[in-house]
Amino acid sequence: MKQSKDPFEAAFEESPPESPVETEAEADTPNPPSSSAPPLPQPQKVSATKDKDKDKDKDKDEEEEEEEDNMDVELAKLPSAGDPHKMAKMQAILSQFTEDQMSRYESFRRAGFQKANMKRLLASITGTQKISVPMTIVVSGIAKLFVGEVVETARIVMKERKESGTIRPCHLREAYRRLKLEGKVFKRSASRLFR
Amino acid sequence: MSNSSSGTGTSSKPRAASSQPSETSSKRKRGVFQKELQHMMYGFGDDPNPLPESVALMEDIAVEYVTELVHKAQDIGSQRGKLSVEDFLYLIRKDLSKLNRCTELLSMNEVLKQARKVFESEEFD
Repeated sequence: MKQSKDPFEAAFEESPPESPVETEAEADTPNPPSSSAPPLPQPQKVSATKDKDKDKDKDKDEEEEEEEDNMDVELAKLPSAGDPHKMAKMQAILSQFTEDQMSRYESFRRAGFQKANMKRLLASITGTQKISVPMTIVVSGIAKLFVGEVVETARIVMKERKESGTIRPCHLREAYRRLKLEGKVFKRSASRLFR
Repeated sequence: MSNSSSGTGTSSKPRAASSQPSETSSKRKRGVFQKELQHMMYGFGDDPNPLPESVALMEDIAVEYVTELVHKAQDIGSQRGKLSVEDFLYLIRKDLSKLNRCTELLSMNEVLKQARKVFESEEFD
C-alpha cells in the first residue's frame, strides 16, 4: 500500500488534516507525489512546537492506525501539518539524512504502543471501566513521549559519564530519577491530609 | 528501587497462557510492550538492539507512569463520574509538547473518522 518511491516518503505516510477528505472524493487516486498545496484549509490548526525533536513527534501513532484501517483509504502523502513551509523544511532536512539516520527516524515514526495492549492495561488499572478509543490514543501518545524523554535523558547521562554503547538499566534509572526531580513524572501527591 | 533492581518485578502470569485481561494490576504479564519498545527506544536514540534488561526496565517505568497518570486522572474525573479524555489533557497541560501532540492526535482521529464515513457513504452510491 505504500507505493512511494523514497524511503522517507514511505515513513511519511502521514495524514494531514485536510488531505484525506480530498483524496476520499477521488476514490482510488494513485499516490500523488507529495502534492504541495493542500486544497482545503485546515479548520483547526494544531500549533505543534517547532523544535527539531518536536518536529519528530508528528503522527507516528497515526501510521500504525492507518496501516490497520488503510485498506482502500488512500491518504495523501503530505508529511507535515499541512503547512507547505513546514513540509519544505522537513523535506530539506530529510533529504540529507544518512542511511543510519533515516532508519532511526523511520523507527521513531512508526513505533508505538499497540492499542489492544494499552486498552487492556488501562482497563486493568481503572478496574472495569470501558476505555474509549480516543483515550487509548491519548495515553499511548503521552506514554511514547515519556519514553522518549527517559531515553534522551539516559543518553545525556551516558555522555556525562563518558560511556558509550547500549543504554544500560543504570542509565535509565538515573534518567528516571532526574525526571522525577524535575517534576515530569507524576507523583501521588493527592490529599495527604488524612494518612 | 528494589522492584526494578531485581528485574522480576511483580508476580506475573505465564506469557503464553491466555490473553485474558488481568483482574488486578498487581498481576501483569511480562514483556507486553517488548517488541514495540525496542523499536521505540531505537528511534529515540538507543542502539538498534537494546539490552533486554533495559527494555524490561523501560516497560516497568512506562507502565508505572501510565498507572500514576490514570490514577491521577481518576482522582480528577471521579467528580464527574466517568473517566474522560479531558482529564488526561488537564493533567498534561503544563507539558506543552505532550499537550500539542495529544491535540494533534485527537484531531487526526476525528479527521480519519470523517474521512472513513465519507468514503463508506460514497461506496454505496
